Amino acid sequence: MAVETKKWLKFRIVSVLLIFLVLFIALLSRAFQLQVLSGQKLKTLAQKQHTTTLQLQPERGVIYDRNGEKLAASILADSVCADPSKIADPVRTSRQISEILHLDNAAVFKKISEPKSFCWLARRISPEQAAHVEAANIEGIAVVKEPKRFYPNGELAAHMLGFVGYDATGLEGLEKKYNEVLKGKPEKVAWSRDAKGKKLFLRAENNETRKDENINLVLTIDSRIQYLVETHLQDAVLTKGAKGGTAIVMDPKTGEILALANEGRFNPNNIHGLTPEKWRNRAITDCFDPGSTFKPFLVAAALEEKVVKESEKFYCENGTFIVADRTIHEANRQRHGVLTVADILKYSSNIGSVKIAQKLGKEKFAKYIENFGFGMKTGIDLPGESAGLVRPVHKWTKVDAATVAFGQGVSVTAIQLITAMSAIANNGVMMKPYIVRGFADKNDRLIKVYTPTVVRTVVSPGVAKRLTGMLTEVVGAVDGTGKNARIVNVAVAGKTGTSQKFDFARGVYSSEKVRTSFMGFFPADNPQIAILVILDEPQRDKWGGVAAAPVFRNIGDQILNCFKTNIRETPVFEQEKTNKVELVSARETLISAGAAADDESVMPDFFNLTIREAMKKAKTRSIELRISGNGWAVHQYPQAGTPLGEERVCSVTFEVEN
Amino acid sequence: MIFLKFDRRIFQYFDWTLLALVLGICTIGIINIYSAGFSIGERQIPLYLKQIQWVLLGSFFMMLIFLVDYRVISEGAYVIYGISVALLVVVLFYGYTTHGSQRWISLGGFSFQPSELMKLTVILALSRYFDDHKSNESYTLKELFIPFLIVLVPFVLILRQPDLGTALILMIIFASMVFFIGMNWKSFAVVLTGSLMLMPIGWHFLKDYQKDRLITFLNPENDPLGTGYHIIQSMIAVGSGGIFGKGFLKGSQTQLKFLPEQQTDFVFSVFAEEWGFAGALVLIILFMSLILWGMKIALHSRDLLGTLIAFGITALISWEVFINIGMVLGILPVVGIPLPFLSYGGSAMIVLLTAIGLLMNVSVRRFILQR
Repeated sequence: MAVETKKWLKFRIVSVLLIFLVLFIALLSRAFQLQVLSGQKLKTLAQKQHTTTLQLQPERGVIYDRNGEKLAASILADSVCADPSKIADPVRTSRQISEILHLDNAAVFKKISEPKSFCWLARRISPEQAAHVEAANIEGIAVVKEPKRFYPNGELAAHMLGFVGYDATGLEGLEKKYNEVLKGKPEKVAWSRDAKGKKLFLRAENNETRKDENINLVLTIDSRIQYLVETHLQDAVLTKGAKGGTAIVMDPKTGEILALANEGRFNPNNIHGLTPEKWRNRAITDCFDPGSTFKPFLVAAALEEKVVKESEKFYCENGTFIVADRTIHEANRQRHGVLTVADILKYSSNIGSVKIAQKLGKEKFAKYIENFGFGMKTGIDLPGESAGLVRPVHKWTKVDAATVAFGQGVSVTAIQLITAMSAIANNGVMMKPYIVRGFADKNDRLIKVYTPTVVRTVVSPGVAKRLTGMLTEVVGAVDGTGKNARIVNVAVAGKTGTSQKFDFARGVYSSEKVRTSFMGFFPADNPQIAILVILDEPQRDKWGGVAAAPVFRNIGDQILNCFKTNIRETPVFEQEKTNKVELVSARETLISAGAAADDESVMPDFFNLTIREAMKKAKTRSIELRISGNGWAVHQYPQAGTPLGEERVCSVTFEVEN
Repeated sequence: MIFLKFDRRIFQYFDWTLLALVLGICTIGIINIYSAGFSIGERQIPLYLKQIQWVLLGSFFMMLIFLVDYRVISEGAYVIYGISVALLVVVLFYGYTTHGSQRWISLGGFSFQPSELMKLTVILALSRYFDDHKSNESYTLKELFIPFLIVLVPFVLILRQPDLGTALILMIIFASMVFFIGMNWKSFAVVLTGSLMLMPIGWHFLKDYQKDRLITFLNPENDPLGTGYHIIQSMIAVGSGGIFGKGFLKGSQTQLKFLPEQQTDFVFSVFAEEWGFAGALVLIILFMSLILWGMKIALHSRDLLGTLIAFGITALISWEVFINIGMVLGILPVVGIPLPFLSYGGSAMIVLLTAIGLLMNVSVRRFILQR
């Protein structure tokens, strides 16, 4: 090549090199611009698309009773989900799945043929079904664990607890009222995600590690008392042929609800197909005319206003008293002549009550009705409470003013009634009823405690004491209407009530359909337990003293036997003389209550036991009892201490104490 | 039999600088592919091991072609060209398809991409042609007709696959070599006007996805999850690397697989994310040194044939580096051109290392050949 050619070549190559130099400097400038100048901005952008925030819901809190017994907890249950995009043969798959899970084939087919990548097929199925699904091993069908709410005691306290829906939200009862607390705050966690949105198990940078702990509820409920209340209430409803019933046990000094039951139970573990009719907590939602149980509040008002004294006499018109256009009778067409105020309560005289109310005046009476909390919500921490209905006093007619005196024409809830009664028991101070004692953290340390709340002082302590005295007579006196509520060796104060249900069809109060009730508390001098029992439309023993009072007695008696053994003046069983409240589960206690710690091989002593107690005691040693009479055991054959032979039979005679 | 004569001097004057540069860039490439494939745990043989295998195989071809005098090789240029074109025809009928285009033929377990081979073959054929038809004047349009035909046949065949990127590279090589060899201004003006007029017509021959890419290049945010996705994710990756990068295996865009084609066409984003601007600077300087060295070889070759071969190969590498990085940085449209020595791929790696062998061949023979 010529020299000129060589020069030409050099020129060409240098110019090509210069072109590439410019191009590569352009590349570097661009890299500089992206990485150095806007690097921070793009870094943030990258971080944003690499992380995704997850809300981790903590496990739903446990609900404990006051002794630490679990009433509601969460367990893991199996659910079946599908990834329709991975199902090769939807026809076959839907047939298989619907067969195993007993589902509608067409519905399953529709679900798994949709162009989605996730759908639920069945939630919270049984472990057996889950095993079958897993065994079928179908591509695109998976079994996953999901938390499920579980109520270990089944029906126990179901109306209070309520239940949760599929999405773990409380729908009724405490589960609803305290949903936010039980649910807990979701923890926000930043996770790395890949381009397909898949979450990776590397947690992204600057992550908060704080985990919101779930919060457990501790109730005022004592599940043992709850159990016996439910059992006795069910017994009574069955034997008296009632439509339903409600019972509440409350500590009058604090307002703590120890037990609350409605007959017409349901199992919150299986709410499928249930109607609100079934799960409604009638104790706080349903209103009714209180009937004679309203009379003590009238007398309390009259005493407080110093309008009457216990010994003041009223003429009870021999059973017929006309107010305006209405004739008022006594219950059961009784006739009373002259009665003192105390007697009016004892015999539950309607006419006497009307006369007291007339002397008191309707304005004052209305004020006390309001002060006792009727016509407004008690504020108990359960959802759906109703306020009852008390018409404003200026709308009361003369007849209204008269009938309200014996609890007709006002509408109250069970919880209002026992709260008002507890005010009398608690020296005239009304406490707010409550059911949640406090919140406990994951380690069962109490982190919040609800203390008893005073609502107001309704009557003075003196008046409360005097009224308690009269109510003790109602139960204690031989001819008292509440004598069936007597409990051995404890002074019980109480009042019966039977209210005729308003027949909306006929527009009058029905004489067949009644609601019979008993409310009371004990021991009278230092009340610790208040109990209200209501039976709805009992077919037998309609009148309060007969149907509801024994339920009150049985519940009270067992509470005293098993849990509050220090209350009785003279304990029934020597071996139970202990000041300690035993913390054992209800069932065990009920059995051991009757089991004396003496020699197994001899006939036990049944003296002074009730029929029920005697039968339990006999059962523990497989002895057949031959019972005669009722009340308490006074005589037995063979005698206690006789060695037990082949024939384990014992005749026991019972008598009502007098 | 000069081509078999073993000369001691080819080792004496061996171009160690070129070898060091190329193997250095290959090593960076392997490390980078290790990172790009780090979170893809599904393959039986990790990609970086396979890439090592390609580098070794490529080095073997590099040495083989280095030993044979390039003038001897040039004798067979048209035969090799013919074989390559035949292979492209085979691909068109029997090749298998991935990602919507038919580019590969199966060779007993390995798949081979004849279009990659074509890049080198076209350089050889053009060099041979221009060497055979030396002219002291600039080439006229008429004189360039046959060289154009040499490029046009494989261009059309590759375009049919379709593989716009590789086809364009052939045209760019042709244009570069013509520019280098000299074309008279009149002819140049005619070609320029002609191609500008043909552009709108060519638009209609583009596939829809190719049109999309061009539109997207002009406005990536137009469709950030569709056609714009590649380029936006790539720019985020590069940019988030910052000055010093996120560190080896720590590139979140890469490891979380936000980057598309991260071991092939977009391998530079992986590198830039993990090593930052500093790394990108070093890599681009290495490439510039390689180009400078290649051009030096072209300049110092004893004959036009060597100059043309060396220039053609250097131009090929330069354009591929520029277009690939430009695409990754979002200043050029997305066309499927791999980054030389860094992108994963057997055919490209073997062909490129063979091309480097030819460069070495030219480099060493200036000391051996007599004028």
